[in-house]
Order: sequence, then C-alpha cells, then structure tokens
Amino acid sequence: MQILKMKISFTEEQNTFRQEIRSWLVANLPKEKLKSLDTKEGFEQHREWEKTLNSGNWSMVTWPKEYGGRGLNLIEWLIFEEEYYRVEAPTRVNQNGVFLLGPTLMEFGTDDQKNKFLNAMASGDHIWAQGWSEPGAGSDMAAIRTTAVLEDGFFVINGQKTWSSRAAYADYTFGLFRTDLESERHHGLSFILAPLDLPGITVRPIPQLDGEPGFAEIYFDDVRVPVENMIGGEGDGWKIAMATAGFERGLMLRSPARFQQTAAKLLSLYLENESQCSPAIQAKIVEAWAKSESYALSIYHTASKMMSGASIGSESSLGKIFWSELDYMMHETALKILGASAELDEEQHQNAAQWIKGFMFSYAGPIYAGTNEIQKNIIAERLLGLPR
Amino acid sequence: MKFVFTEDQLQFQDTMRGFLSQECTPDSIRSGWVDKQPLNQQRWNAIAELGVLGANLSEEDGGLGVDQVALALMVEEMGYVALPEPIAEQSFLINDVLHLFPDQIQDAIRAEFNEGKEYIAVSHPQNPHPVFLSEAKGLIMIDETSCHFVKPSDVSSELIKSNDPSRVLSRILGVKNTISSDDNFQQLNQEINSRGTLLTASLLLGLSQKMLDLSSAYVLDRNQFGKPIGSFQAVKHMLADIAVAIEFARPAVYRASYSLLETNPKSALHCAHAKYMAVKAAELACKNSIQAHGAMGYTWEMDLHIYMRKSWSLMACWGNDDYQQNIIFNTLRSSDDELGVLYTF
Ligand SMILES: Cc1cc2nc3c(=O)[nH]c(=O)nc-3n(C[C@H](O)[C@H](O)[C@H](O)COP(=O)(O)OP(=O)(O)OC[C@H]3O[C@@H](n4cnc5c(N)ncnc54)[C@H](O)[C@@H]3O)c2cc1C
Repeated sequence: MQILKMKISFTEEQNTFRQEIRSWLVANLPKEKLKSLDTKEGFEQHREWEKTLNSGNWSMVTWPKEYGGRGLNLIEWLIFEEEYYRVEAPTRVNQNGVFLLGPTLMEFGTDDQKNKFLNAMASGDHIWAQGWSEPGAGSDMAAIRTTAVLEDGFFVINGQKTWSSRAAYADYTFGLFRTDLESERHHGLSFILAPLDLPGITVRPIPQLDGEPGFAEIYFDDVRVPVENMIGGEGDGWKIAMATAGFERGLMLRSPARFQQTAAKLLSLYLENESQCSPAIQAKIVEAWAKSESYALSIYHTASKMMSGASIGSESSLGKIFWSELDYMMHETALKILGASAELDEEQHQNAAQWIKGFMFSYAGPIYAGTNEIQKNIIAERLLGLPR
Repeated sequence: MKFVFTEDQLQFQDTMRGFLSQECTPDSIRSGWVDKQPLNQQRWNAIAELGVLGANLSEEDGGLGVDQVALALMVEEMGYVALPEPIAEQSFLINDVLHLFPDQIQDAIRAEFNEGKEYIAVSHPQNPHPVFLSEAKGLIMIDETSCHFVKPSDVSSELIKSNDPSRVLSRILGVKNTISSDDNFQQLNQEINSRGTLLTASLLLGLSQKMLDLSSAYVLDRNQFGKPIGSFQAVKHMLADIAVAIEFARPAVYRASYSLLETNPKSALHCAHAKYMAVKAAELACKNSIQAHGAMGYTWEMDLHIYMRKSWSLMACWGNDDYQQNIIFNTLRSSDDELGVLYTF
C-alpha cells in the first residue's frame, strides 16, 4: 500500500520551480501588449509567443521531454499557470491543441501520430481548432452528420462544422465525423484530424459579441484526408471525444489561476471605488474570493488524487458549472462598481473596456464545453443516479 | 503538495460512519424527541467506549491523538446522521484547545472531564446558549477579556427551547465560585471561535450530503405523470445544484482543518471560508430538498426535517455566513500580502 502523507503546501523544489518560471517570464514576456488573437496580425503575434514559450520548454510542462515538455506533474502545471496568469501573459492561442488534443493524442494516438503532431503543436507551428458542433448538432453532439467516407486510403469529407474557436486563422481542426453512414447517434463516429488548407475546405469566420471572428464555420466539400489522421479505430470517435471533453471540462481548460486573479482584481477595483459602493458589493467581493479559493482548493485536491492513481469522470461537470457561474458573477460585479463608466471604450477608460470585454466573454462560459444545463443532466444521471 | 487523505484519516471516517449508521438512526432521534431526552445516554456511553470523545486529545491526556483533518472527516459523519450528542462542537472543541487555557482552568477541566469522557459545555459570544448544560461536568465561559470555569452546581440557568428538538439550550443567569482569569484572551477566544466555526462547517457538510441523498432517493421513488419525478429536468437540476455547492465547500473544510493542524497564520480566515461555503451549501440543500419532496417535505413525519432543523441551528451558531463574510472581508481588505494566486497556500 502506498504511504501518503497529507501536505497542503508547496515543497522547496516546487517553490524553486515557481521562481524559475517567474524569472523566465520576466525576461521573455512581450514588451508590448499583443493585438487581439482574433485578428490576423494578433493571431500571428500569439503564434510567435507560443514559439517563444516553446524555446523555453514551457509549452506544456506535463508533456514528456521528447515532445517538447518537461515531464512534470499536474501540481507543477498548476504552479506554471499561476505564474502565467499572475503576470497576465498572453492568452494561449493553441489551447485547443496543447490542453485538449495533446492529452488525447498522448492517450489514444499511435507513435507516428504523436511524432507528427505533438512537437508541431508545442512549437506553435500547428494551431488547432475544435470541430464538434454542427448546425444541427449542438448540445446533441450525437446528431453529427458531417460524413467521412473511406476511399483508397483517404477519408472523403462532406458537411459543415460550426462555432469552431480559432478556426478563422488556425492550421488544423480535430473533431468527430460520421464514418459509418448507416450508423445512428454516437455509433459510427470517428475522430479525425484535418488540415484547414486542404482543397474543398471553406472557412467562414463568424464575428462574436465583441465584433471579432473568434469562431468560424468550416465547410467540407469532398475534402480528402489521409486515413493516418484518424485517432483510434473507426467508430471509436465518441469514446475518444468524451475523454477530450473531460479534459476540457476538467482540469485543463480552466485552471484556477485566472479566477483567483480576477477575484483579486475585483477587490482592487472595489477599493479604488469604495466610497461609491453599497454593502451589497462587499458581499460579492467576498463571494468572488471564497469561490475562486474553493475552486483552487478543489483542483489541487483533484490533481493530488489523480497523481495518486484516481481518475476523474463526470465530476468534471461540477467544476464546469462552478467556474463559469463564478466568472460571470465577478464580471457582473465589476461593471456595477464601474457604474456609468462601465460602457466606455479603451480610449476613454482602459480598465472598464477590459472588464466589459471579459464580461461579454463570461456569458459564453455557461455555453461552451457543453452547456451548464447539459452538465446538470450529467450530474443528476451519472453522479446522483436519477433516471434519464 | 499532496492534498489527499492518509489511510489512517480515512479509517477514522469509515469507523465513525459504520458505527453511527447503526447507533444514530432517525427513529432513535425521534424517540429522544418524544421522551424529551434527545441526548441518548446509551449512545453517548457507546461512543465514549470507542474512545471517540477524547479522539483529539493527546495521548498523554488519555486521548487517541487524532489530527484535525481526520477529525473533520469524523465530524462530517456525525453531521450525516444529525447526531444529537454535542461531541463535535463541544467535546472536540474543548479537547483541541485544552492546552491553551490558563493553568488553573486547565487543571479544573482535567479534574472534571475524565480524559475527555465527561462533557464540558462552552459559552462564547458566538455560541451564547450552551447545549445540554444539565449533562455537563463544567461550563467554560469565555470572551475576549475573561475566561471562567464553573461547576454546574454553581450555575443558575434556565432551559430554553430550540427549534431543533435535538438541542436543549440553556440561558445562563448567574454563576458563583468561578475559577477565573482576567488576562487578555483574544488569542484563546479566537482559537475557540475558529474551531466552533470549523466544526459546525464539517457538520453542515455531512448534513447537506444527507439531505441530497434523501432527496435523490425520494425522487427516484415518487411517481407523477407516470414516471419518477427524478426524470424531470427541473428536479434533476435542483439536486445537481446542491451537488455542486457541496463539492466546492468540501475542500474548504479540509483545508481549514489542515491549517489548524499546521497552525497556519491564516487559519482564522480559512475557518471562516469553510463555514461560509458550508452554510451556502446547506442553505441550498434545505431549500431544494424540501422542494424536491413536495408537500411530503413539509411534514413532521418525513425524516428530512431532522436534518434541516439541525442545519438551520448550526448555520446560525458559531457564526453564520454573514458573520464569516465580515471576517473574510476585513481580512482581505487589510491584507498586506499580494492577493490572488499567491495568497491561497
Ligand atoms: C464562445 C464559444 C466558443 C465555442 N467554441 C467551439 C469550438 O471550438 N468547437 C465546437 O465544436 N463548438 C464550439 N462552441 C459551441 C458549443 O459547444 C455549443 O454552443 C454548445 O454545445 C451548445 O450548443 P448550441 O449552441 O447548438 O445550443 P443548443 O444545443 O441549441 O442549446 C440552446 C439552449 O437549450 C438548452 N438545451 C439543449 N438541449 C437541452 C437538454 N437536453 N436539456 C436541457 N437544456 C437543453 C441548452 O442548455 C441551451 O441553454 C463554442 C460556443 C461558444 C459560445
């Protein structure tokens, strides 16, 4: 039996590691704020930043060294994230790749696939978009209709994906395609990786609430993708996608650091404007701190359990609801504190413009990665044992 | 960093759960209500025989030396069955701070409480009405500027009724022959407050989990429109919301326990956080559980209210969420440390 001693604090080595990241970030952070990653120019700036990160082996610290990682554990990844958010380093333009597809490839990919894709992902040479949703398949992902028919070593793909984040400028997409045309629901789907510059692909960017094309539609018209680009076997797609979705809802997509930093910023915003605030705002400030603190504790608890051999399943749905509601609440509170300044743009009020941008994005949290209503269904059915 | 329990800690929890599921059933609680004897002497003795009463006393003091984290897990189990005996928020509390009392008061406690096997009640500004005073071998009265120990025969008090029939409360009218000390008791008072806060938070975790389990079972069983009401989404979502609230209160309680164990300088904040989160979870567990039960939940007959009543009381004593909110706010507001990611551990 494993002898475990509880320790809810960092070791010397972990603190040294933190210092190492901190100094590297100070030395390497872009001197000027990058343009939005949803503009062509900003996207390339963010790609450059991914390359810089990779030059320091910081793309994904938990990956094995051979794929550009450092072979570190989840706790060290959390420390990395904390330092990263603490200095407000640029948004990871390749988060779909490094946080979602990466772990999927690590678990289900062949050696050839790992060799082909992981290093290029770590270096930012391949930026990835996710292709699950379709016009008729949102919450009901098993309704996917885009087909991929095998013909002499190639999948011939026809159909349409939508809401694909980063797809406007990305290099590749991964997603589920119906390879068995007779199949229904979650049977007969396969997990396929497709370059976005192939003949027959049309990407139509969709402006989001902030006016920028943060996601896109992808049309496939007889697009030929080599069969080597399938992860796992034909018909295994659903199972593999569920694992990816688990990474997304679980630890990887939203590490606690961003929420802890938002709660801290909210408190400073409050202190700057304290004289105009009612006690109701105080209550929200406390709620923001308490919940982001709880989220961090919960993730450290989960990471520790995973490192001791446990795996997470439907529990990740609990976290997804929690952080997305928290994020919305914090941004809503910030706007209340800002009062009539809340609507002003960058030139008028730098701070307000950032909060309202974050506020708009916080509306998306309860929708993407599976809506919160769907998460509640999952919790009720799989954790509480209620009937479907 | 290794935020997982040890085998030992989990063992204590398991033992407690096994024992209490036998000894503290809803029926036994109800018969205590009927007999107006909610504190069940037989159960108390059985628990004492297990060595649980002195669990967190040091071995020199005749205890088992159980740490605060294992204690939190055990207390959660006491909450889960709505244990009427005040073992968590009184016995464990006193055991845990025994060594912090001024010498003469420590001696007086030790003389009376028989290595933790007898009961010492506490009166504190956040817990002004001690429970089961008539069963106690002594009463401690503490606030920031004074600390007294007094024998029950020297206390004049009157019984007051709680909304929870499992709690018999006393109002203290006067005391004589006290062993007193007029030092500055800010520290001791704080330590007691933190423990009362945390132990009630652990109880609330267990209570919330129990209400969720009762509700999940009920909605599977009850049919309307030809199917179990648990198949309706509105009902599912109410229960899922409770599950989320409990999930994120839990680690706060465990961390606060660990902070006490390690005498972390932020332990008072961590205890306040634990209670704040636990109260929010318990509030939702009460509200949504009764709703999921329909009119049945609004009856005396259904067991749900055994757990709701205890929750309402424990949410309120040893500092409700509003009280904790003030502690948290004032601590954050006056902090010289950088807040955000570096402030957590
Ligand atoms: C910012 C953003 C980025 C995104 N990025 C990507 C991406 O990169 N790749 C990708 O594939 N997709 C992406 N999506 C799409 C996202 O996954 C879907 O929006 C989501 O799954 C919901 O699908 P839908 O939009 O079709 O809504 P619908 O499924 O039409 O749902 C509409 C409403 O009905 C509710 N509803 C639907 N079914 C049920 C049910 N059974 N029970 C209860 N309520 C129900 C939903 O909860 C929701 O409130 C993104 C979305 C956003 C907002």
